[in-house]
Amino acid sequence: MDIIVCAKNVPDVAEADLNISDKGTDIDKEDLVFGINDWDNYAIEEAVLLKEKYGGTVTAITVGNEDDEEVLRRCLAMGADRAIRIEADDISRFDSFVISKILSRVVKDLQFDLIFTGVLAEDDYYGMVGMMMAEELNINHANMITALEIEDGKARTTSELEGGLGEVSLIELPALLTIQTGINEPRYVSILGIRKAAKKELKTIELPDLGISDEELSPRTIIEEAFLPPETEGAEILAGDPDKISSDLIEILKKKGVME
Amino acid sequence: MEIARIHFWEINTVWLFYVLAGLTVVIFLIGLFFHASIWLAGLKRDKFNFSTAGVINLLKDGLLGKRIFKGDLTAGLMHIFIMWGFIGLFVGTVLSTTDYWLIHFLSGDIYLIFSFCLEILGLMLIVGLFMALIRRYIAKVSRLNNTSQDLWILILLLASVLTGFLVEGIRLAVQRPEWGGYSFAGLIFSSLLSSKDQATTLYPFMWWLHALISLGLVAYFPFSKLFHSLAAPFNIYLAPQPAPVISTEDRLSEELEFPFRDMIDFSACTNCGRCNEVCPSTSAMEPFSPREFIAQANEYTKLKFNPLNRIKWFRERLIKAISEEPKISPEQIWYCTTCRACLEVCPVYIGAFEPIRRVRIAEIEEGSRVPSLLIQSLETLYKYNNPWESSKKKRGEWPGVLDVPDLTKGAQANLCYFVGCTTSIDTRAQDLARAFVKIMTHAGINFGTLGQKETCCGDIARRVGEDGLFEEQMEKTLDLFAKHGIIEVVTSSPHCFNAFGNDYPGYQDLKTPEERLTFRVRHYTQLLEELMDRGLIKPVKSLDLKVTYHDPCYLGRYNHIYEGPRRIIRSIPGLELVEMAHFGPDSLCCGGGGGRMWEELEDEQKLSEVRIREAADTGASVMVTACPYCLIMLEDALKTADLEDRLRVMDLNELLTEALGLGDDEE
Repeated sequence: MDIIVCAKNVPDVAEADLNISDKGTDIDKEDLVFGINDWDNYAIEEAVLLKEKYGGTVTAITVGNEDDEEVLRRCLAMGADRAIRIEADDISRFDSFVISKILSRVVKDLQFDLIFTGVLAEDDYYGMVGMMMAEELNINHANMITALEIEDGKARTTSELEGGLGEVSLIELPALLTIQTGINEPRYVSILGIRKAAKKELKTIELPDLGISDEELSPRTIIEEAFLPPETEGAEILAGDPDKISSDLIEILKKKGVME
Repeated sequence: MEIARIHFWEINTVWLFYVLAGLTVVIFLIGLFFHASIWLAGLKRDKFNFSTAGVINLLKDGLLGKRIFKGDLTAGLMHIFIMWGFIGLFVGTVLSTTDYWLIHFLSGDIYLIFSFCLEILGLMLIVGLFMALIRRYIAKVSRLNNTSQDLWILILLLASVLTGFLVEGIRLAVQRPEWGGYSFAGLIFSSLLSSKDQATTLYPFMWWLHALISLGLVAYFPFSKLFHSLAAPFNIYLAPQPAPVISTEDRLSEELEFPFRDMIDFSACTNCGRCNEVCPSTSAMEPFSPREFIAQANEYTKLKFNPLNRIKWFRERLIKAISEEPKISPEQIWYCTTCRACLEVCPVYIGAFEPIRRVRIAEIEEGSRVPSLLIQSLETLYKYNNPWESSKKKRGEWPGVLDVPDLTKGAQANLCYFVGCTTSIDTRAQDLARAFVKIMTHAGINFGTLGQKETCCGDIARRVGEDGLFEEQMEKTLDLFAKHGIIEVVTSSPHCFNAFGNDYPGYQDLKTPEERLTFRVRHYTQLLEELMDRGLIKPVKSLDLKVTYHDPCYLGRYNHIYEGPRRIIRSIPGLELVEMAHFGPDSLCCGGGGGRMWEELEDEQKLSEVRIREAADTGASVMVTACPYCLIMLEDALKTADLEDRLRVMDLNELLTEALGLGDDEE
């Protein structure tokens, strides 16, 4: 079973203080800490688990600059056999359409039974690359996979639907699956593991060498403005030590009739 | 008739004895070879240096068995009787052989003294063996788990010494020498026999029985727990030498295995169970036992490094046995708090936490069985230089309204207060830092912190076996120290203190002299003690309190600081210090060390609740400690054990600020 995993290096924004960049169309990423997109972490783990079970190879791919290679090194440490980076110094100029074009172009020349992407990426939350790739490659696909089994060369997948429903499908390979978090428990990647994986193959492809037309490299989505949520009325930030905050909070809840 | 040692009396087929003896020696040597080749598999990076401390250890804990007496006088006496009885009779046999083959000296008075000594030694052995039998099978000492070999060895030893006396007794019954009184024990047996003829017929039978049992014991020796008597001296000797540091760099090219000293530890374990008695995890009924772990590790090394593995047929089978069923079950290793209590009580200096850390290293590298909260904490540490918070900024917020000089922003001071991750970030532990700052300011000490730039010392990474991450954090910390010219450090946490003082130097030794950075590190209790001695802080306010002090593992057992914190507490007027059931080197872990703070394990019992109940039992109203982990763990336990009305948990700094009258302006 040969599996390709597309992974993205994303800034950790969950607890960070965000600012709008000078250009006004993105957040300022200068002081942010980067790491593998959480969904992609599950995708690579799932690929490695399948490889451990059925044999074959796992190839990790990313579009990005040299710093983004850290994601690939991590994938290699987790058990991928080789990695490919398509050189692009600033991927924020690309939208999901362009990224899916680039990835599809590279994947086309590779041997594969399955392609995994994360359902979406933590930075922009578009969740489009996987599906667009499947269309571009003209292969079967299924989204939000929370369970996966291989049966007689077919994939039995469970997709997560609204309201906790699951949808089970039997899909002919080759296929593309977008992996949902919780499908497995991603393993720990140690520093030693990353250093040992440095021996594995990591290939860089220059974008012009792919022969993608300028037309296809021009984004279909253009961000005109990025802004912080405007301050509105009705919010009150409680200050002081925990004792004071909690008593103030109880006071407010009582006043509003939430508490007796 | 000459007064002399009689050899092979009435025994005609002496050659048969020598054939059997030769065979026994061969089996014995095969056993030794078996152990030696397993040990040597671990020797690659370990060293075996000469050390005086090691020799002193050997005399004290080897020959006198001092540690066996600790807390168990009968066990100590039993062991001394058996050990010296055994050694004495063995030496007796060697002397007797020398007398027969080399120099005939066992005659006259020398023989009589020799004979008398052997009687005493034999009796000692018998007494020791009976003590052992009573302890195991009548008194049923709870920590002893009886396996078949425990019984067999005692019976064989007893049979050997009793038949020995019988053989002697029969001979005396026939010969009736005037000097028979020197063999007083044998004489008792001789009186059992009624006639000379009966004795002469019985003698060869009894002699051969004695010979076969004794030879059997020698042959069985290296394959049984008796082998501890040859293994233990090595690890008793090695105990004072620091374990070797293997850097991640070196590990890139080498498979991780247990070092030499761990291999010896496994062979030296006698299954006595003292470690289980003191292990906070075992005591709280968690699925972990240091004794069981050592036994598993012994099984594993016996298979993995078996000398028979040189032969393909064996190799395939033995290695397969390991891969099919891992001998060391990986779930248990995360329960160890690395509190060092097992090492403190082990008669042969086995600390299960050391080999456990090595299994953790392997598990961390494998990755898929690491507890998920721990994965999260390590990833946070990797990204944000602390295991708690996904933000670097929050680290600098603890001072609140206090004015704390920041060395990274131009403040000048000789002393760097290294606050540490937990003390900087955890809201309860922050009180410790603020109280300490108040005391230092009150004493007029010129100090500064590293503010928001402060790194993690790496202790958590090292304890859980993520050495690569530890090294990264260590290098970041050392770079920061170098950049700001820091040569004098005081820490909040005994864990940072221990990492700086005991973990860093081993790595520094791997560097060239130019690359090394030396700095002095102290725990805050040491600085407070100094301030007190210099008269810079004088607790004046009388506190009418009964307090008890909880020794943090990394301050006490790891760094032998027991008395300093108590001196500070006692200097406070009006205050009464009482001790808990476990204190000093016997202190009970709060359950926060060794990475446990960042794990949520199945069946997790509150180790801290066990400890807090001990504190409540003293009748004290305040439990004082000197470590942020202990502070958090015990404070939590106070709530879950529902003891909040009876007890308060305080850091030593907090207690001291009250006594110095510095606490009031806080609110």
